[in-house]
Amino acid sequence: MRSQLTTSAKVFLAIVFVILYAPIFYLIFYSFNSGGSMGSFEGFTLEHYQAVFDDNRLLVILINTVIVALLSALIATIIGTLGAVGIVSLKDNKLRNIVLSLNNILIVSPDVVIGASFLILFTMIGVKLGFTSVLISHIAFSIPIVVLMVLPKILEMNTNLIDAALDLGANRRDVLTRVIVPYIKPGILAGFFMALTYSLDDFAVTFFVTGNGFSTLSVEIYSMARAGISLTVNAISGLVFIVTIAIVVMYYFITMRSKKTEGSIQ
Amino acid sequence: MKSLIQIMLTIVIVCGLLSFAASRLEAGSSAGGKGTLVVYNWGEYIDPALINQFEKETGIKVIYETYDSNEAMLTKIRQGGTSYDVVVPSEYTIETMIKEDLLIEINHSKISNLKNIDPFFLDLPFDPKNKYSIPYFWGTVGVVYNPNKIPEYLTFESWDDLWDPALKDKVFLVDGAREVIGMGLNSLGYSLNSRNDKELREAVEKLKQLNGNVKAIIGDEITPLMINNEATVAVTFSGQAADMMFENEELNYAVPSEGSNLWFDNMVIPKTSANVEGAHKFINFMLDAEVAAQNTDYVGYAIPNKAAWELLDDEVVNDERFYPREESRTNLEVYENLGLELLGKYNEYFLEFKMSLK
Repeated sequence: MRSQLTTSAKVFLAIVFVILYAPIFYLIFYSFNSGGSMGSFEGFTLEHYQAVFDDNRLLVILINTVIVALLSALIATIIGTLGAVGIVSLKDNKLRNIVLSLNNILIVSPDVVIGASFLILFTMIGVKLGFTSVLISHIAFSIPIVVLMVLPKILEMNTNLIDAALDLGANRRDVLTRVIVPYIKPGILAGFFMALTYSLDDFAVTFFVTGNGFSTLSVEIYSMARAGISLTVNAISGLVFIVTIAIVVMYYFITMRSKKTEGSIQ
Repeated sequence: MKSLIQIMLTIVIVCGLLSFAASRLEAGSSAGGKGTLVVYNWGEYIDPALINQFEKETGIKVIYETYDSNEAMLTKIRQGGTSYDVVVPSEYTIETMIKEDLLIEINHSKISNLKNIDPFFLDLPFDPKNKYSIPYFWGTVGVVYNPNKIPEYLTFESWDDLWDPALKDKVFLVDGAREVIGMGLNSLGYSLNSRNDKELREAVEKLKQLNGNVKAIIGDEITPLMINNEATVAVTFSGQAADMMFENEELNYAVPSEGSNLWFDNMVIPKTSANVEGAHKFINFMLDAEVAAQNTDYVGYAIPNKAAWELLDDEVVNDERFYPREESRTNLEVYENLGLELLGKYNEYFLEFKMSLK
């Protein structure tokens, strides 16, 4: 079933995309400006990118940001997936709703509140601000997102599959690893990539829990921008945009591949 | 399941490789010591080429970190756990640091280039005999404006020009209690270190009449606004004004004649320093006439180094807007440390003024 878009719908779509992407491309365009500011474009140069790669500190921050994103997304996906399976297996409807609501509250509540409460918690129990504190808080705010991405997939699953597997002699562990996980794999991947992007672009929570020389890109860009936006910021933003596109492309290929293999089994 | 485990392993391996790369890039930067020197300075406040030159001349590796406010820097140094060797705080922070015993006395026999500094900038009340600090840059607080967009008679010879009805909704103020209240006090002919409540009260009442003219009270964000001609008049620091004027040649800067603030950023050595010897070398290096001149060219602030003045363009050094003559300097005052209680009062009055703006 494929419906053709009307002309007005196409125009609307085009306008929306232009509005969404114009600022990003404007920013990236000026990262190639040899004039010192965003005022007027004077000529093409790569010196701002050069400046990023010459600055070891900035590179370390960039790498740290990626490490935190990957690790926190990975751990949050594991915990979140298990959590989702656990929530579904709750027999008591009321309890299940309560747990789900608690999960959703974490998504809705403002990042600033989460960040501030983490800061209070960490200083109270004596965790030194730095890599660990950032990683823990990123894992914490990613888990509810993963749960939300995985849950529909589990609910969609026919419970007879589990019963059938148990009847055929599978133990509980086999059911989880051989029946449930393969079935909900698209949900897990979606959860992982959502967590990844959330971690990459989080500012508010990270701002509170960074310290002792450890910093992530969003926090660093914020402090750079306070002293007037230099074109180095544009260059970093350009690089981050490329990384984001790479992630989207990767996600596309991974899901395509798993769809294909699924098809071949059937 | 197998493919998921593959992905998981890949991620872990990638993270391992990345952290290895990061630690290689960072190598040595965490450990201060004999061979390295950790410099903690304001952002965009040194010519990076000079750091390379210093490394080549002395063989000491410099690790350069930046901060964006005196308070942030102070907190880090107070906390300990850092080993900064050279830091560049403003004068009122230096006073605090001396009081809290955070600084090492500077050995003047190792700073042979100290003779390059104009005596006017030495032996100031915040650090008598320069026991703890050596001047780096200095400047004033004044008005940066675009003459093409306001009536010609407004030259900001006097602070009162800010109250002119022609500037309705055009004035931007720097977000600092000392600066704004000080401006109110100066416009009335009082000292900007006033401890007299009646004078402060008067200043606030006068500031409140600015109501219709003030568009916003902001910080560093003013720079791009002025450069892009989105703002017309701003009360700000001379160094920031110099930045703006470099980018936008229409702009002009004036220090009103009733008086204003004179500020200094000086180099100090914190007690936590792990390379005191290197710190002295670095300070002495920065005072070298040629180095100082090159640094001024890059940073754009006014330098207290009179040997460097001869190397700089006459146009720069004779620009009275940024290098006020000695006669006019008499109207300029350095902030005194007012003590917590009085400072609280300044803040309270500043808040009252802010709240009165519609």
